[in-house]
Amino acid sequence: MERKSPDAALVPTLQLASYVVLATGAIFMASRAGSLPASRWEPMGAGTFPQLIFSSIAVLCVAAFIMELAKRGIPRTTLHSAWRRLVALKSVLVNLGLFIAYMISMPFAGFILGTFCYLLLAQLFLAPRRPVTLLIVVGVALLFSIGPYYLFADVFSIYLPRAKW
Amino acid sequence: MMDAFLLALGGVTEPYTLMLMAVATFAGIVAAAIPGFTITMAIVLTLPLTFAMPPMQGIAVMLSVYVGGLSGGLFSAALLGIPGTPSAVATTFDAFPMARSGQPGRALSLGLFASFVGSLISIVVLIVAAPPLALLAVKLGPWEYFALIVFALTIIASLVGDSLLRGLIAGLIGIGIATIGPDPLMARERFTFGYELLTAGIPFLVVLIGMYAMSQLLSELEPTSASQQASSSSLVSGDMRPHLWDVVMSTLRKPFNIVRSSLLGVFIGAVPGAGSSISNLVAYDQAKRASKHPETFGKGEPEGVVASEAGNSSTVGGSLIPLISLGIPGSPADAVLMAAIMVHGISIGPRLILDHPDLVYSMFIAMAVASFFMLFIGILMMRAFMRLLNVPKYIVVPVVLACCAIGTYTLNNRLSDLYLLAAIGTIGYLMKKLDYPLAPLVLGVVLGPIAETNLRRAFQTSADWTLFFTRPISALLLTLAVVSVAYSIYSYIRQRRLLAQRAEAAQNSAYQDGVSQE
Repeated sequence: MERKSPDAALVPTLQLASYVVLATGAIFMASRAGSLPASRWEPMGAGTFPQLIFSSIAVLCVAAFIMELAKRGIPRTTLHSAWRRLVALKSVLVNLGLFIAYMISMPFAGFILGTFCYLLLAQLFLAPRRPVTLLIVVGVALLFSIGPYYLFADVFSIYLPRAKW
Repeated sequence: MMDAFLLALGGVTEPYTLMLMAVATFAGIVAAAIPGFTITMAIVLTLPLTFAMPPMQGIAVMLSVYVGGLSGGLFSAALLGIPGTPSAVATTFDAFPMARSGQPGRALSLGLFASFVGSLISIVVLIVAAPPLALLAVKLGPWEYFALIVFALTIIASLVGDSLLRGLIAGLIGIGIATIGPDPLMARERFTFGYELLTAGIPFLVVLIGMYAMSQLLSELEPTSASQQASSSSLVSGDMRPHLWDVVMSTLRKPFNIVRSSLLGVFIGAVPGAGSSISNLVAYDQAKRASKHPETFGKGEPEGVVASEAGNSSTVGGSLIPLISLGIPGSPADAVLMAAIMVHGISIGPRLILDHPDLVYSMFIAMAVASFFMLFIGILMMRAFMRLLNVPKYIVVPVVLACCAIGTYTLNNRLSDLYLLAAIGTIGYLMKKLDYPLAPLVLGVVLGPIAETNLRRAFQTSADWTLFFTRPISALLLTLAVVSVAYSIYSYIRQRRLLAQRAEAAQNSAYQDGVSQE
């Protein structure tokens, strides 16, 4: 039973690819686990349990791959479908990118500046373009960047990262 | 025992603790009412706030968020027609039509009262069931414990998601993630590849925040019909008075529905992996089957609202039974509660009730107090909640993501945890898009080290592996694990067959329509 449209076949194709990636990763990890030294004090060393788990992942991925192919055949998708799906997820991808940049910049920019910039940019990207929303966006970014910093510092004595420059 | 109870009662009923619990219950209701903001997320974000509190107070606050959250989904379900959390899906079926027909106040009161009664019933069952189970669990050896974890993992994988194999793979990936870092018995470094970032392992709360909160929040930004519905739906209008006395009397006149739904919720909550997202649907289905007028269900039937809300709120007591008595979290939310207790240096397991009875009693008392708060806050602030539901996504998503970063950093005050969060969140989102269930993965991270520790302890005690099958409780649990996998394979095949039959029937009827139009 083959998927009729390239769009419908996109997720199954990616699932098949994920089984391959996971199985390869699991085999690599299982081999690394096998190379961990055995223990003198117990029959099972530090590597036995992980080896068991990663080998099971590899076996299950191979089983899932074969069953998927046997049941539905090779899914046929196109790069065009994948691109269209990526474009549809623009909001998610931009936000994810901003969040990753926020996490990476936190040690240098500090919590207040990093959070303010992230909240400002993410909200500006998502919010409807109206003058009143600009005010809300700036207000929310200020409140949630300065507020938690002083709340944690003064009430809980937990210090969020400070800027380093 | 009485001393411990009085100590717990004194601790929970301190005015400052009560005030914090009231705020936490309110926060739980608000969080769960906002579509896309789950109860687990709310509990995760509360965790760093409890670090500076004494254990009893911290746990009471987190339980208040939990109890409030389980009823919070009712507000968006009744007023917007969107379940705020997966646990309020069935509530939408009748609460929304009831609210649309001009009775929003009555719909909310019915749901709140049912949640209240459901919570209380679940607490009674928890008090009765947890201590004897814990006393039994203390006598279990590593063989039984390992078998218990295997059983719990098979249930989790079979109950979550569309694909059994992907569920099992996700659970095993979770266990695999937990093996990174020092091994649980000898602290030997594993899979760090020379990166300092991985030396201490991957904290399971970072996995939980990344997998659950981040992936869910990012999904909220996708263009879906639900978000279109949210933006286009107008708020319901009509009688916002609660009519509490009428609601109480009409519910208590037919007590069977609320008691059955609550007990179902407790039972489903006690099974690891099953939770409020399942219990509300099962309780609703049972109420419809038992009703003399099932045709009114889906059109604003009060019994439907009562069944769904009693069913989801009663899972809180049920899910704490395995946590308190066995040290096994039944759901991601319970895993965070477990972490909160462990952060305060208290080990979780069957000895919890023996070593810290005051803490366990305080959990019982806190849940009961939070249930009262939930009812009163819900009733008093009905109108205010209508406004709160309109917070736009462009504010909620970035702000909650920033809160996730705060929660992650404050766990260990480690900047490297933030990089792990970004990486795990991205992987979690990808897995979610590829239809891998995330709940087994998260629970695998929690249960993995317990499984490894007990398996290795069993072999340290005796190299004879047949003990797993010859010791009666271990053999019983492993048999149950096999039955659970066999049953889930059977249900999966049956479900697929039914879906195929339905699709075929729909195709046939479409063809017939086409022919008749021609």
